[in-house]
Amino acid sequence: MNAPVRPPRVNVALAVNGRAVAVEVEPRTHLADALREELNLAGTHLGCEHGVCGACTVLLDGEPARACLSFAAACEGADVTTIEGLDDDEIATELRAAFTREHALQCGFCTPGMIVAARDLVLRLPEPDERRIRLGLAGNLCRCTGYVGIVRAIQSVISARRARGLGPTAGERGLGPVGARTGSSGASAQSAATAETTVAQAPASAEIPADFRPAHSLDQSFEVGFPPDQVFAFFGRVEEVAACLPGAVVTSVPSPERVEGGMRVKLGPISATFRGAADVRRDEAARAGRIRGAGADGRSGAQGEVRYRVNAGSTPGSSQVNLTVGYALKGPLAQFGRPGLVRDVAARLVAEFAANLEARLAGRPAGADAAAPALNPLRLAFDLARGRIAAWLRRVARKGDASTPRS
Amino acid sequence: MKPARFALERPRDLAAALALLAQAKGAAKVMAGGQSLGPMLNLRLAEPELIVDVSGVAELRHAGRDGDAVVYGACVTHADIEDGRAPDVGPNVMARVASGIAYRAVRNRGTLGGSLAHADPAADWLSSLSALGAEVEVAGPAGRRRLALPAFVTGALSTALEADEILVAVRVPVMNPSSRFGYVKHCRKVGEFAHAIGAVLIDPETATGRAVFGAVEAPPVVVEDARVLFGGRIPPGFADDFDVAAADDTLARAGMTDAVDRHIHVEVLRRAALQAHALSGSPLRPDVRSAA
Repeated sequence: MNAPVRPPRVNVALAVNGRAVAVEVEPRTHLADALREELNLAGTHLGCEHGVCGACTVLLDGEPARACLSFAAACEGADVTTIEGLDDDEIATELRAAFTREHALQCGFCTPGMIVAARDLVLRLPEPDERRIRLGLAGNLCRCTGYVGIVRAIQSVISARRARGLGPTAGERGLGPVGARTGSSGASAQSAATAETTVAQAPASAEIPADFRPAHSLDQSFEVGFPPDQVFAFFGRVEEVAACLPGAVVTSVPSPERVEGGMRVKLGPISATFRGAADVRRDEAARAGRIRGAGADGRSGAQGEVRYRVNAGSTPGSSQVNLTVGYALKGPLAQFGRPGLVRDVAARLVAEFAANLEARLAGRPAGADAAAPALNPLRLAFDLARGRIAAWLRRVARKGDASTPRS
Repeated sequence: MKPARFALERPRDLAAALALLAQAKGAAKVMAGGQSLGPMLNLRLAEPELIVDVSGVAELRHAGRDGDAVVYGACVTHADIEDGRAPDVGPNVMARVASGIAYRAVRNRGTLGGSLAHADPAADWLSSLSALGAEVEVAGPAGRRRLALPAFVTGALSTALEADEILVAVRVPVMNPSSRFGYVKHCRKVGEFAHAIGAVLIDPETATGRAVFGAVEAPPVVVEDARVLFGGRIPPGFADDFDVAAADDTLARAGMTDAVDRHIHVEVLRRAALQAHALSGSPLRPDVRSAA
């Protein structure tokens, strides 16, 4: 090992399976990794690592919780029980026997989390109701058994216990997340936010594909009180157009057909800074154009285009502007599987873009300052370190002619 | 995947949490139970420099009656409401919503305040509490302010919270005993994010009501006066008068262009109205006003 920079670590005290332990982990280490890597408790399995599969379910203060969605440092002082700590647990023992009898596992990957979830159902359900058991297992994925054996095993344990006069229980506890003890930082805790500006990745560039086909597109049209020629000329000034798009920055315009720059997009806790280039086409005769770009932020990629057409408006001397914004995403945000959320952001961006465009055409200052905190052309690299990601609307702008699409 | 590097602070009280946010100048993210932010961190969709974990702030972990409302501290969990450790605003009203959120292991840590601050349009509280007329209480350097949910949620995953503010409590009006609440969500798999949500709060005695189309991938569409959905009035048998065309028109005007999407949302809302009606006259109606 050539001594890489050692990230800051924190000491976390936990009671794991009844034993007081202290682990030294990074703040970002989730509980499952702390258990597996630091304490060699590899019975806690990791499947999806985003809370869906249930393989990592452990008991936190006696209640089931996702070990992949609980950071070890956030569990300071908590009681943690893993599958290894259930060896002598009465219900777990009965469940193991029932799982064996009913063939409730095949590969066994889901089983540690399944036993923890099953134990919780045995404790809480008054009766061996198949429907409620199946509902209760919805958060633990088993890809081998089809659940029939698992459900039977749990039913049999519940039936047997109720027959022995052991009813359901409701554990007493205070309000709030299980495993979360009172915090210890005071007001003067130094915020590590300052020191943490670690890796400023080299900005990725992206090729503008010739065959771009937007996965999503949005239309927007509005009227402005200026003649079409004037409005169309405005669209030719790419820096001014970009200034209307919140988060967009133009860094250079090497030729009338090419623009380079970046776009920062924010969606709640998600933010991404895409850098890339765009090509620009205009069709003077049709008063139409296209700006098509591609950007990347290292992991996510985005492509997008803006098509516009300026027509005569409803009154003399006014124009109608028709915009079509299309985009496609690759990478984590696309995998996040919530295209609708991206669509909402894109729709809001397009609406803001249209409003700003209108304001600028009218000579009013574009409200693009709304985006000011996000865009800081000289500090794109720092921004990259802070949050990147995802994406939609990536585009940086380029334009082309709407009448002869190459795609 | 593993999260990108971040620093984590666990303030002991609200003042400390607010001070941390003020110092961080926008580079921090508040986390409560971490059940929404956690997946985004693990997928590296979110990469904050600092996480301020407020799950250990005692003043956010309480619930109780305050006048005509129940006030829930932001860190009250879904399971707390499901199990009745926190009071409900009506018989099995919020408890039923809570019991349908994700999975039990998630509900044991996921919080009411965290869910609203995350503002995922497909999440349960955003829609159900919009129907119930809830307000959020926000604390910041300049003190506290209250916002009704429609004013609080500005877009998908976007809220009126400033970077130095924390959602500290949720105030939900106690339901009038004659009111009916219906809540239906459409999911292909139990526990996943809803594809459509319908929520209604209807009081046949006063002939008033509110309806919410949720999970529209944008802030919920709140129909403050639900009479338009029932032929202009709320008769005792209101569910039979549900006006599909009016509901469809409401969604179309809200910008939902896809007719199939509209159909699903309208049908889900219709079922919520049916459910609210079916719950009418239930003998199981303990006096919630004394419950808290």
